[in-house]
Formats: sequence, structure tokens, C-alpha cells
Amino acid sequence: MRYLDKDIKEIHELLVSKKICPLDLVNEALELIEKNKDLNCFITVDKENAIEMANRLGEMEVDKDNLLFGIPIAIKDNIVTKGLRTTCASRMLDNFIPIYDACVVEKIKELNMIIIGKTNMDEFAMGSTSRTSYYKAPLNPWNKKMISGGSSGGSAVAVGARLVPLALGSDTGGSIRQPASYCGIVGMKPTYGRVSRFGLVAFASSLDQIGPMTKNVYENALLLNAIVGRDERDLTSSDKEKEDFTRLIGEDISGMRVAIPTYFISDIVEKEIKDKFNELKETLKKKNVIIDLVDIKYLENAVTLYQIIAMGEASSNLARFDGIRYGYSTPNPTDIDQLYLKTRREGFGNEVKRRIMVGSYLLSGENAQLYYNKALKIRDDMKKELMKVFEKYDLIIGPTTTTTAYSLDSDLDNPLKSYMDDVLVIPVNMAGLPAISIPIGFSNSKMPIGMHIIGKPFSEATIYKFASFIEKELNLDLNPERGDKDE
Amino acid sequence: MSNYIPTIGIEVHVELKTNTKIFSNAINGYGMGANTLTNVIDLGYPGTLPTINKEVIRQAIKAATVLNCEIRKDMHFDRKNYFYPDNPKNYQITQFNTPIGHDGYVLIEVDGVEKKIEIEEMHIEEDTCKSAHRGNVTLLDFNRAGVPLIEIVTKPCISSSEEAKLYIEKLREILLYAGISDCKMEEGSMRCDANVSIRPKESAPYGTKVEIKNIGSISNVGLSIQKEIMRQEKIYNNNETITPQTRRFDSKLNDTVLMRVKETGNDYRYFPEPDIPFIHLTDEDIREATKDIPMLPDERRKIYINKGITRVNSDKIINHREMSDFLNSFIESDLDFVVASNLLLGDIASYLNKTNKMLKDTLLSKEKFVVLVEKVKDNKLTSKNVKDIIEDIMEKDLTIDDIIEEKGITNITDNSIIESIVDKIIEDNMESVEDYKNGHDRSIKYLMGQIMKETKGQAEPRITMQLLKEKLDSLK
Repeated sequence: MRYLDKDIKEIHELLVSKKICPLDLVNEALELIEKNKDLNCFITVDKENAIEMANRLGEMEVDKDNLLFGIPIAIKDNIVTKGLRTTCASRMLDNFIPIYDACVVEKIKELNMIIIGKTNMDEFAMGSTSRTSYYKAPLNPWNKKMISGGSSGGSAVAVGARLVPLALGSDTGGSIRQPASYCGIVGMKPTYGRVSRFGLVAFASSLDQIGPMTKNVYENALLLNAIVGRDERDLTSSDKEKEDFTRLIGEDISGMRVAIPTYFISDIVEKEIKDKFNELKETLKKKNVIIDLVDIKYLENAVTLYQIIAMGEASSNLARFDGIRYGYSTPNPTDIDQLYLKTRREGFGNEVKRRIMVGSYLLSGENAQLYYNKALKIRDDMKKELMKVFEKYDLIIGPTTTTTAYSLDSDLDNPLKSYMDDVLVIPVNMAGLPAISIPIGFSNSKMPIGMHIIGKPFSEATIYKFASFIEKELNLDLNPERGDKDE
Repeated sequence: MSNYIPTIGIEVHVELKTNTKIFSNAINGYGMGANTLTNVIDLGYPGTLPTINKEVIRQAIKAATVLNCEIRKDMHFDRKNYFYPDNPKNYQITQFNTPIGHDGYVLIEVDGVEKKIEIEEMHIEEDTCKSAHRGNVTLLDFNRAGVPLIEIVTKPCISSSEEAKLYIEKLREILLYAGISDCKMEEGSMRCDANVSIRPKESAPYGTKVEIKNIGSISNVGLSIQKEIMRQEKIYNNNETITPQTRRFDSKLNDTVLMRVKETGNDYRYFPEPDIPFIHLTDEDIREATKDIPMLPDERRKIYINKGITRVNSDKIINHREMSDFLNSFIESDLDFVVASNLLLGDIASYLNKTNKMLKDTLLSKEKFVVLVEKVKDNKLTSKNVKDIIEDIMEKDLTIDDIIEEKGITNITDNSIIESIVDKIIEDNMESVEDYKNGHDRSIKYLMGQIMKETKGQAEPRITMQLLKEKLDSLK
């Protein structure tokens, strides 16, 4: 009997009726993780603490109002966990054991969820294939020769392969939505400020956001409920009041106005994906959803802006890794300069170094005015353009990615190619908007295709309503191993 | 006299007096065990974010106000990126583009002439940690990391080491009075860097700038600049060139010594701090922050001098903040400020020193002080009387009259009584009277002493002296 493939509501009922206990869930997750070790989606599995926690919860009364009670969850390895190794998939933090919990981890613990382990990712979240990980890339559960996407690849694989029902990722330029799309799961990047970044190891502070990665839309909203809220420790976190993100799920979507940016269905997108998306468009039209094509300025500049802003900020954010206070430190440096140089040369991987160098250059001397400050201005303009669309439309939709997951063997040393993976998802980060990726079908080679639904700031509930409608309409079987396993 | 004109600009870092640090809630304290006042934010731990201590913004608004600066209402923080072991994040959060204060000034008095030392800008930033070098290792104390600082930068408008010293003294006095910092240079809560250059004449372009870092005391401010000017003059006189460099003052050598030659184009890669939203100060914020600024030293000095206190004594009182505040509470009354200041700086100050007390620890009330001043002014109490009863005044919950009665002080102020005693002493000491007649002025002191002995010190000295003199002169 497998429990973790069931909906959380079902699992919760089994827990409440004492048919199972949290330890059953933990044991199943640990077994599955062990059995699927080749997927390489976990960097650290916290077996001992997970079992201990499950035992502790087993002695408690199940909280009937808390659907997340006793549910195993995986956490991306750039979110710090007290006493549990947090590597950012970097040699630099290979031995790093944090002394505090991230805000989201505190919330997860308060709700008595069980942290199973820390998931694989691109080093410091820099990449879109998870291949820059110091611990090697995770494999796509739909085809192990393919990439998982990134940077939250490990979380996407863990949920996609049904090893855990829930995971947290982080999204700076598509890092939740793109791997969610590649692995056939639901991934939400909330509005910038919705979720506290306290305890998220910073990549690009003005873009980073933590979000839920789940099997389905309802559970995604449920997990978002658990992690949002003003945090006094993060000045960029919003003081929006708590709301139930599941509240609009199931409501009728007819009459909703939806915009499709022409750029999102231009030639940059593979035909297979466009076809699938157009199919869905017709379905929506039949449901009386009003759909218009719109031209949105600056979308094609998003990747360039992203590179300037993200790399500029990253070069500064990653300066703290110097071998003095924590993390990797080169043995026997002759002087302070050697300590810096060798620690960072040996501790960081190539992609991280590339981005630090580009970022430092972009902020250097006159360049700061020429590039960074100018990028911030264009970014504001881009946000205004997008907000204009929301004056007329409830949502913006399109495909999440231009291709489906591609081969693990493809050229890693072509950064421009992998930056292009994110052209459709990056504008959302630039404008701080909420957006989700949900599966809408498969390619001919049986790889998942994702759809992107973007809302105005703090309209997550509306996004979930729309996404849930599509999910129900399509009713896809999203378990990559269906048929191979006993039911 | 030198043939060169010095140009000096001064940067002062002042630690703000706040309970907690600027970007974390760790305690802002001095003198505690190393690394006991620190947390994950101060350590630059991965995943941590800065918060803003509102008290820092309040204090900075106050500082900008007392330094006569314009306040920038729309401001933000910037990151200054550089690698150094005392810089935990390897960037310092500071204000580069939008310093909270700009275009201010401090007034100093050079040889009786007022001069405006112009302040270019004043900004908020975080302190670094303290490093201690032991042999070939460096130890880091993060207690100081994240302590709030304001940096005050003058225009290059200071033209002598004396002016520089006066500026620092004045700045310190103002910041102390406004309660912004405790300004202890020896503890590092006030630190001073000076940029010094010289040129042959006013019309010549500015000379090469040399920075003197971390000057550790007020007297060394003047001294180090003076020595640096002399050093530069020597170089010019030898037709050599000055290289841009950073030096420090070595008080043992009594001279500045080279720290490092300045690298050209130091590139700090400034950019706006993305973790702290931009700040907008409202008029209300500014009103609120400045409402409790007390009367500043310059105004106090003006009032004291107007009320007849000497410049020297005015300065002495201003140096003693509590005394000055006490005296200020009588500004609206017609209290004799000269007598009052003499009492404060005299017997009261020595009592406080001896007992190591503050005024507030004593039982000297405003009412008691007024009576004391009146009695001294009206010659009802002699300075000797005051000395005799000062302890009782400060320590007993009794009125001045009660104390006088208790001590049995009865001063002879009746002219006829004193006259008769004077006559008696003259009669008994004709030799001294002769000496006086022969021009030995000192003998009058002897005669005074005899009178005091006779009256057990109760004869009012001013009246007695006057009568004695009259009598002696009439005998001439």
C-alpha cells in the first residue's frame, strides 16, 4: 500500500482515524528515497530526526484542523535548517550546519510537518538544469536521461517521483516554475514579499522568493497558506493579512479575462508545446473565458535585465563566503589574500564564479550607472507595462517553458542557451508578480508540458482558482511510474 | 611662519547611543567579553537579513539637526563592497547616494573670531568588527560589528591644526549635549580621520591629499595634523613630490607614519541595498526625533556670558552637563549667576569630586540653592562659612537657615561691633601698624588674621577689610 501518492486530505483522514500513523508516512518516504537513490534528488536525508519527529507526533492527538499534520516535506537546500546540513549544493557549504531555522522552516515545524531532507539544486540556485550542483544533477523522473530543470530540480523530482507529497523551492528567475513544468508538478512563485526570505541563502535579494512545489493545485495552496505572513526579520516581507488560498478553488471561471502575450507564443516556443497550449486555449474559450492576444513591451528584454540585476546582487551576496566564519576554508593559506582567493576558487563551481565575475564587472565603477541602475529603471517600466495589462485582464497565461526537459548530456558550457530556458518565467520575477506552473499534458516523447498562469500582486487565490479548473478539466495522470507499481 | 597654506578636511565616525545594533537586535555595548554581543545577523550568516533599528534613524535626524544639516527625506541604504576580515558580509551597509544630512556647519571660534566649518554630508552606516593582531594570527571581536555609526564629513575648509582641534572639540560638545553619542575617543566611540594637503599660495591648485587614519584623541588631532603639515612642507622644500597615501599618528614617535600607499580608483561597487526598502521621512518623523534636543552649548555660553560669568567659567560649567542643566533651570529667575556659578564651580564641585557624586545624588534642592546664593551675595555667609556647611547642605534634608542655626554660625556684620574689634587689634599690634605705614602691605593680612582669630572667623571679611583699611589709612 502506498500512502504518499494519495491526496493530502485522504492521508489526513487516515491519520485522524488512526488507520496509519506519521511514522508509516516517514518510513514510506525513506524507503522510496532509498529505492530511487539514482534520481539524486536529495543532498541530505534526515532519517533520524524524521523518525524521531514521527514518533513524537504519533503520541500526539492529530490536529483535525491541520491538514498538514504529520505530512513529510522536502526542503530545498538553500533554506537553512537548524542543526541540519544546508549546502546550497556547493562545496563552499558542504560542511555547513546552520544554527538557526529559516522563517518558513519555523512555520513548517509549528504545523508539525516532518522534514525528510534537503533537496538537490543548482549551486546557490544558479542554473536552470540543476547540473551546477556540487553533488551532480538530479534525474528527471519521466526520463532519467533528461534534466530535471532548475534550480529547484531536486524538489521537483522528489515531488514528481512521488517520494514526498510536498516540497519547498525558491524562484529567482523561474527556479520553481521551470523544473515544475519539466517534472510534471505544480509550482508556485508567490508575490515578492508574500513569504519571508529570512533564512533563504540569498542569490538575488530583489528577486528571490520561496514557494510551494506539490502534486496538485489544492495542496499547493495549502502549503502556501502555511508559509506566508509578515516577518519582522525580513523588511521586504509584506504585511498583507493572512488569507486562505484554497478559498476560490472550485469556483466558476467563465467570464474571466485572460491575456496571452504574443511573445509567449512566438517562434521561441517549440511547436509541440504551442499546440498543446492552443488546445487548452480552445477548451477555455468553450468555458466562456475571454482570451485576447496582447503585445507587452520589454518582455524580450527581461533576460538581459535579469542577468544584470541578479548577477550584480549575487556578486555582493556571495562575498560573505570567505573561509573565515563558516563553510569551506582553504587549508594553510599564507596570508589573507590567499585565504580569500583559494577558498573561493576551490569552494565555488564554475557557473557561480562566472556569475560573480560578471556581476562584479557590472557594478564596477561607471558600469553601475551604465548597467545596474539603468536595469532597475527599465525593470520599473516593465512592471508598469505588466500592470497595465492587469487593468483589463485578470490573468496572463502562456507556456511555462519554450521546450520540454532536454538531455542531461547537452552542453553545460553554453550559458546563453540555459539562460534562454527562462525567457518566459523571468519577467514575473522582475515585476514581483505571483505565477504558477501546472502540467497540461505531455510531448510525443512523454515529457511533461507546463502552463504558466500569472496574476497581479497578491492575487494567488485567483491563480489557484483558474489553475484548479484546468487541472480538473484535464484530469491528467501525473505519476511517472504508474503501472510499474502495485496499487 | 610657514610659507604654505594647509587644506584640511575631516571625517568623523561617531557611534550612536542606542540599546541595540543598527541591523540586528544584539545589544550595542562596550567592554564586554569578546563576541558576547553578537548574533547571526552581525556574523553575516547565510540567509540572514538586516532589520532597521528605528532609534538609529531618530538619532541621525537629531544629529543632522544639531549640525545644521539639510535633511534628505527620501533616502536609502547602499552596499559598499570590499573584502576585509573585519567586514563580516564583505560589504558594509552605508549611505552613498542619499546621505541623511547634507550642507550643514559647526561654528568654532578662532582667536576670538567665529568661523563656520562646513559639513559636506552626514550619513548612517554600520560599524565593522574589531580586529586584534596577535603574532601571526588575527582575532575578530564581532561585538562592534553592526554598531550604528554616523559619519560626518567636512568640506576641505579647515586651514590649521588648531582649527581642526577646535572643530573636533566643538563637534564632541554638541553631540554629547544632544545625547547622540558618548564621544569617547579612547574607547573608539568617536574616531577621526583627517585629509591634509598643502599648497604654496591661495591661487595654487590643491596639493596631494594624505589621509591620517584613526586619530585616537583630541590632542592628537591637532598634533598629528601639525606634524603632517611639517612633513609635507619638508617634501615640497626638497622639491620632491607627495604620493597619495594613508598614514597614522604614532604618539611615541610623535609623528605620522605610513600605513599604505593609496591604490588608484578604489572600486567599492556601490549599489542600493535590496534588503532594506527605501525610506521616506515625514515632517512628523523629524518633529518627533528633534523634540527633545536640549539647549546646545553655544546658546548656553551666550546666556552665561550675558549674565556676567567669565568665558572660562562658562566653559567649565558647560563641560559639566549636569551643572549646566541645573544652572539653566534658573534662567528665568533673577538669581545672581556670577555668585551661583562661583558656588557651583567652587565648593559644590569639590564636594562632588571628593564624594564622587552627581548633583542628583545630593540633597541640594533648587530652593536651597537660591537661599544659599542670596546669603552669599548679601554677605550673610562668608566663603569660610560655606566651606563649613557645604557637607550639611548637600547631605541633610534641612533648610539653609536650619543648617546655619545648627552650626551656630553668627556672622558679625554690625559695623560698630567690627569697628571696636578693629580698634582693639590696632592698639595691640602697633608694630604692624608701623610696618604698614612704612609701606609693608603684607602686615594688613596679619592684622586681618588677628581679627579673625579674635572673632573666631565670624567677622564678615569684606566689611572688616574695608574698615581696617580706612582705620590704618587715617593713622598715616
